[in-house]
Amino acid sequence: MKQVGHFIAILLLSSTALAVVPADCWRLRKHGQERESQSCFEQLTRSNEEAVRAEGFWGLEEWDRANEQFRLAVHAANGKPIVKVRWGMLLLERFNNKDAADLFREALAQDPSNVDAYLGLAMVSSDSFDGKAMFYISKALELDPKRTKAHELAASVALENDDRDLAATEADKALALDSDALDAMAVRAAIELINERPPDLWLGKVQSINPHYGLAYSHIAHHLELHYRQDDAVAYYRKAVAVDPRLWSAHSDLGIGLMRLGQQEEAQKELEVSYNNGYRDAATVNSLRLLDSYKNYVTVRDETTVLKLKKTESDLLRPYLQDELHRIIVTYNQKYAMKLPGPVQVEVYPDHEDFAVRTMGMPGLGALGVTFGEVIAIDSPSARKPGDFNWGATLWHEMSHVYVLTATKNHVPRWFTEGLAVHEEGERSAEWRNRATPEVLIAIREKKLLSILKLDRGFVYPEYPSQVVVSYFQAGSICDFVKEKWGESKLLEMVHSYAELQATPEVIKHDLGIAPEEFDKQYLVWIDRTFGPEASHFDEWREKLKAIAIAAQDRQWERVIQEGTKALALYPQYVGDGSVYEYLADAYRAKNNPEAEAKVLTAYEHAGGQDPVILKRLAVLEEQGGNKTGSAETLSRINYIYPVNDADLHRHLGDLLYEQKLYGQAAREYTSAVVSHPVDKAGAEFLLAKALLADGRRSEAEESVLAALEIAPGYVPAQKLLLELHQSTEK
Amino acid sequence: MKRPRAQLWRQLFYLGLFCAGLCRLSGYAYADTYYVIVAGLGGEPDYEQRFNAEAKDLEKLFKASGSAVRTYALTGQDANSSRLKDTLSTVARAAKPEDDFVLILIGHGSFDGITYKFNLVGPDVSADEIAEMCNRVPSRRQLIVDTSSASGGAIQALRRPGRATVAATKSGTEKNATVFARYWVEALQDPSSDTDKSDSISALEAFTYAAKKTASFYDSQKRLATEHAVFTDVDGGQPVREATAGQGALMSSFTLLRLGNTQQAANDPAKRALLGKKEELEQKIDTLKYQKAAMDPADYKKQLTAMLLDLARVQQELDK
Repeated sequence: MKQVGHFIAILLLSSTALAVVPADCWRLRKHGQERESQSCFEQLTRSNEEAVRAEGFWGLEEWDRANEQFRLAVHAANGKPIVKVRWGMLLLERFNNKDAADLFREALAQDPSNVDAYLGLAMVSSDSFDGKAMFYISKALELDPKRTKAHELAASVALENDDRDLAATEADKALALDSDALDAMAVRAAIELINERPPDLWLGKVQSINPHYGLAYSHIAHHLELHYRQDDAVAYYRKAVAVDPRLWSAHSDLGIGLMRLGQQEEAQKELEVSYNNGYRDAATVNSLRLLDSYKNYVTVRDETTVLKLKKTESDLLRPYLQDELHRIIVTYNQKYAMKLPGPVQVEVYPDHEDFAVRTMGMPGLGALGVTFGEVIAIDSPSARKPGDFNWGATLWHEMSHVYVLTATKNHVPRWFTEGLAVHEEGERSAEWRNRATPEVLIAIREKKLLSILKLDRGFVYPEYPSQVVVSYFQAGSICDFVKEKWGESKLLEMVHSYAELQATPEVIKHDLGIAPEEFDKQYLVWIDRTFGPEASHFDEWREKLKAIAIAAQDRQWERVIQEGTKALALYPQYVGDGSVYEYLADAYRAKNNPEAEAKVLTAYEHAGGQDPVILKRLAVLEEQGGNKTGSAETLSRINYIYPVNDADLHRHLGDLLYEQKLYGQAAREYTSAVVSHPVDKAGAEFLLAKALLADGRRSEAEESVLAALEIAPGYVPAQKLLLELHQSTEK
Repeated sequence: MKRPRAQLWRQLFYLGLFCAGLCRLSGYAYADTYYVIVAGLGGEPDYEQRFNAEAKDLEKLFKASGSAVRTYALTGQDANSSRLKDTLSTVARAAKPEDDFVLILIGHGSFDGITYKFNLVGPDVSADEIAEMCNRVPSRRQLIVDTSSASGGAIQALRRPGRATVAATKSGTEKNATVFARYWVEALQDPSSDTDKSDSISALEAFTYAAKKTASFYDSQKRLATEHAVFTDVDGGQPVREATAGQGALMSSFTLLRLGNTQQAANDPAKRALLGKKEELEQKIDTLKYQKAAMDPADYKKQLTAMLLDLARVQQELDK
């Protein structure tokens, strides 16, 4: 800010006779002299210059008037780059990043050596985690290596990227240039906290310069958040608002942080404080909207779980989620040799936008679920297109985070916790294992996998569009590799090493007995052996797939079978849209060969295919082929993918389970059919009654048969069951 | 004959029509049903094939449903305005006032803001022309099911006392090709659409089934629904998407397809007394259901159980 103010001072002094310049006012504010800075900004509003008046109104938090003055200033000053940059900074502060970036670019078009415009673009990039921030900062530093703000920003971006050494170096450079570089001090303090050391020295320095500089605590909290330290982040946001109660952004961040920890009442209060004082960015507004929508949710608790579900789908989803969570807890308690300190809370959002609000501001988070301490937020299956999402795999993934974060007290690098979580999905079911998608194969072929010490960057600052997805794959495959070479127990040892605050290089050396560089070499050999053939044949596979699609369109089924069989061998892991499995199944159907059709669809299922339509098609073939057990198992898989809006699925699965005398499971499916609002509710209630009776749950059976007859009093089979129930009671 | 759904009984009570409704139950025992199914111009092979297949499926279902049905299906080149006119004239000559008449249109429709037209081979036919042809059919109870795109634009012209009209779209402006017909056919193929387990599928049950399945189709595809089926069975009533206090009585009592021989017992004099008792119990159960909200739940359950047990025993006697 000092340098920015400095050039503004030079610029404006030349054109105004005012006693004060904007830089003075901002400096007063930075040093906590609030009364003096207010008076200073008021003076600026009386200037003859629009740009100076704009700075005055900005300082007085009269955003609209400041904006208006900047608009006039840009016209009056014939669009001077400096004025555009300052206007852009105002817009950036007031949540309009797009227009801010446009102004910075306009300024650069007029003045390619405008350091502040580059810094503005760096801030915009940093906000969106688009990976370009460091590029803009380096441009700024090329033009002016002594720009404190550039070094401060570089330090912050480096720490977001978990490059603690670079962050410290850049912060020190900023401090060497300006001993009052408060934001550099904040980065230094954050590094200490992340390294489990006291930050007191740096916080003391901040306080000595400005005891009310809440932004320092807010910046620290931001970095703690990015290092999975949600509790600590909330504590620092609290400190931010304690020292500067008018720091509305910190009230908002505190509210969002509290939401993530499941503390909604206080979250609502903080967000309202922020909103009511004009801080209405998307995160604040959307979070308040989401909190308001919670009236449409129910909370279901048991000893180990808290489920927050939309009322409209809670009856359907609760039993599945609760059962799966209990299964996970039993498995992980044993595997990680620990118990969670309290119940785990799982929030399920049928509206993907609501889920997005819960994850806002966190870079590179999986789009399916997210874990904050012991709170998990996931999409409901109804939020997505059938086949896009497996809630079961997502739950095993997120719960792994809960255990690993608890075990390590959040001291774990992103790659390891994500990798272990991906690995756990595959441990639960081979069909849920880490699959090499086309973008992964391309990354392997083009040797884009990162070294283990740099893998975190692939999550936070992707350098190419699919790098986050590739990084998930790589992290998961590293854990698979560790298991294969050193054994599953090594993964737990690594968790313990991270818990003891060891960094990745030490963990690799200590637990695996090799240097990280050697680990990378061995891992790449393993990757090449495991996925190399698919990666090297990827183009050939793609060409064949195109030819198969054309052949299928022309109904050249023999050709589809011939080419499809070859293509499948080249890349069997591909089960996405338009897979070879589908074309082959269509060809076999056209050739009236249901056995071959079932065989190829079974292969699709075992390869992890998740399209409910295809799985139902397989279930029908299995049933027609007399394999009712297989058919039931196939339909049960759909329950993990798209159990919603499908009463027929549950009813039919119930029938198959009932036939196998699995009455308890049949009752669960019939219950799902009943709560799915089927067209034939009476029929579903009757079937439920039968299953309950067979399962020995007589009184529940009577309730269901009465429900069936209440809808359809003349329903003869239900009447017979009611009589049977009462006759046996009367006897 | 279908019994109206519970809430509709109440409406009939209020309208003083309860007795008339019951009288009609026996009065319709020997009535015929005339079905006319039209698969309109597809324009593309896929649509052509789909419309014809759906029409043929319906024809097969209706023909198999008993001897008291007369079915006419116009598909392919036969689906033209001249053949339609001839067919409806034939029905107009043969049908008696007590016979039911059903017209099902499958295909594409258009609406220019004023006039709805159903696409046929050759000249299209407007909603006014369809209404005029159907008005000549003497059946007091009629059902027109227009599953075409923009069919909501036809409702105004097709409405008439004693006629229920179903449209696949809520207005003439929903112009995309529809999937409603697929589920209308499925409703008549799937016994689960018989929600009151009366061994027959009413127009309302078929509508509810098809509308639900259509909505699920768009939902599961994560596509914006471009069709919203509606019906009206009250002259001058606004089209609705589900039965209300004012709409649904005719749809509910209009048997579209018989699944079993529900009329057999009615024709056996020895069982008349039991049938009377059965109907009396059914009425009592309906009455009790209206009172549910105001009753103590335990008392309601006790009374309901007792009545249902009585009804089950009567049914047992009837089935002997």
